[in-house]
Amino acid sequence: MIPMAAVPIGTDAQLVIAPMLIVLATAVATLLLGQRPRARAAVSVAGAVAYAIAVAAIDWYIVLAPDAPGIATYQVGDWPAPFGITLVADGLSAFLLTMVATIGIASFVFSMRVLPELDRRSYYFPLFHFLMLGVTGAFLTGDLFNLFVWFEVMLMASYIFVAYDGGPQHTRAAFWYVALNLLASAVFLLGVGGIYATTGTLNMADLAQRLAEPAAYGIDPGPVVGLLALLLSVFAIKAGLVPFQFWIPTAYRAAPPQVTALLAGATKKVGIYAIIRLSFTVFAGAQLGVALEIPGVGVVVSGDSPLAFMGAALFVMAAASILVGGLGAVGRDSLEGVFAYSSIGQVGFIAIPVAIAATTASPDLRHLGILAALIYALNHTLAKGLLFLSVGAVRTATGTSRLADLGGLARRSPPLAIAFFVAALSLVGIPPLSGFFGKFLVFDAAARAETVPVLVLLLVGSLLTIAYATRTWNRSFWGVQSPAVEDATPDSVQVAVLLGLAAAILAVGVGFEPVYRFADAAATAALDSEAYVDAVSPTDIESLDSSGGGHS
Amino acid sequence: MTALVLALIVGALFALGTFLLLRRDLIRVVWGLAIISQAANVYLLAMGGIAAGTFDSVPVLAGHDAGAPETADPVVQALVLTAIVIGFGMTAFALVLSYRVYEEHDTLDVSELGDHEG
Repeated sequence: MIPMAAVPIGTDAQLVIAPMLIVLATAVATLLLGQRPRARAAVSVAGAVAYAIAVAAIDWYIVLAPDAPGIATYQVGDWPAPFGITLVADGLSAFLLTMVATIGIASFVFSMRVLPELDRRSYYFPLFHFLMLGVTGAFLTGDLFNLFVWFEVMLMASYIFVAYDGGPQHTRAAFWYVALNLLASAVFLLGVGGIYATTGTLNMADLAQRLAEPAAYGIDPGPVVGLLALLLSVFAIKAGLVPFQFWIPTAYRAAPPQVTALLAGATKKVGIYAIIRLSFTVFAGAQLGVALEIPGVGVVVSGDSPLAFMGAALFVMAAASILVGGLGAVGRDSLEGVFAYSSIGQVGFIAIPVAIAATTASPDLRHLGILAALIYALNHTLAKGLLFLSVGAVRTATGTSRLADLGGLARRSPPLAIAFFVAALSLVGIPPLSGFFGKFLVFDAAARAETVPVLVLLLVGSLLTIAYATRTWNRSFWGVQSPAVEDATPDSVQVAVLLGLAAAILAVGVGFEPVYRFADAAATAALDSEAYVDAVSPTDIESLDSSGGGHS
Repeated sequence: MTALVLALIVGALFALGTFLLLRRDLIRVVWGLAIISQAANVYLLAMGGIAAGTFDSVPVLAGHDAGAPETADPVVQALVLTAIVIGFGMTAFALVLSYRVYEEHDTLDVSELGDHEG
């Protein structure tokens, strides 16, 4: 822990834990202020602003500033790693935190506006902050079991949000969602327990170190390939990759739209983050001959690290996601139905470059793959977040989000239409929006990997995106105004939030250079296990002085 | 011997949990989930293993003259404690939620709840 003169208050180590403490304090304070809606709203706003500042400070002082260390750690309770819990902020964490903070603030402002007075007394805001706490903790933790705990924190809040409206379809959707995730949690524990039994540690840096030199620590790393597969299935459930996508349409339809924006923009990305962090930073160093024959096809997956297996599995899941999501979205008859299926397809687009990065031997292509996935994830968070928020705005204005009851919204509310249009174009990948660079980099990675089937798949997926984006636009914004639309009065603050996000999409596209540098730093951090291990510097258990202690 | 008994118990618990999870009654589904998470906890405990106690790993044993007894790994026990608390909370929540589902649908039969998509 080197004190950094660059940080105005405290040290860069303290900066790492700042966003978590802020959001935890806000959540508890809003919980206690249940009877005072005004004070609660004020605390919520202050907490959101402080959170944004803390994330921006991490971005600048730890990652982007010219003399930034690039990575900072906080040892909770001052227990040295691997005995205590380590929090780590590096480029990858910072990039995802920034992304989540952006959509979180937008969703938060939207929530302030959309909730009726009565709801402000309920547990909406404490839950909102706890959801953000879970997401933030998952991005910052450097301990596998702690990651499980943050997953649970995030999930508990999201369970209640799915059931929030309390109607028949909401309670049913929430029950499926809870049942599926409880099962996933048990599987997560199985993976964690197995990894502990195999390697003797759960600290991610210590894991990376031990797996890179199994002989020095006297462990047999063989089982980690299967255990990683267990963990992959858990993370794929969170990310909504096929074949674990089935919960998404019902849950996304049941949750309030501004929360769905957060589920699609933030909790999905936690799944992606966990896949990238564990596969590349932690498990990539393990030297293991992997040779698996896929039954029936006769294709043999082989490589010298667990990444080969991860990559092959991800390819299959991502390809199926793109097709299932794209085809499903074309046939939906409500706005949120289209976007829920679209989310499944878009996560496939994020997972394809990750799979390319996992299977390639070239370090440059691996870096490009991660970079493409991150840029695409950023675009998905902004665009899909905007689209789900626009579902909320349309519902507030017209009382419906069924395509059959909509039409002619563009004439009724041009600003709403412009914001929606920008997000839809960005999803399709039109320059100069952020989506163009995401798609371009994904295609670039696929082209350099020289895999024609993947290129064809990406093309088909892009065509499907164009098809459902056009269909949704035509059905809801063009054409004759329906009776619901004729009486519609969109809320100005809600539309302002949408326009703000649309401006962000445009800004990321036009001023792409700094975003690219940030994502570049993030991809470098994701692949640099050595820097990660050095920063955490886990104590070697064998080297501890066993005569110490002074309790004899 | 211990390993075999533990393996059999974990296997039996997972089998019972899965069986209940696939029932049509919502309350049985919750029971199934509770049993599966307990099975995961037992598995987690078993993963710590049992090692011969040494003065290095358990300093307090230094006071015992006649050799140290076998000791269990304390790390997994700490993990399991956390997992039990989380599992308890989630089971309670799932039970309340299933009551809400009953209020809204007047049935606890999974096949009658259906799976409509709008």
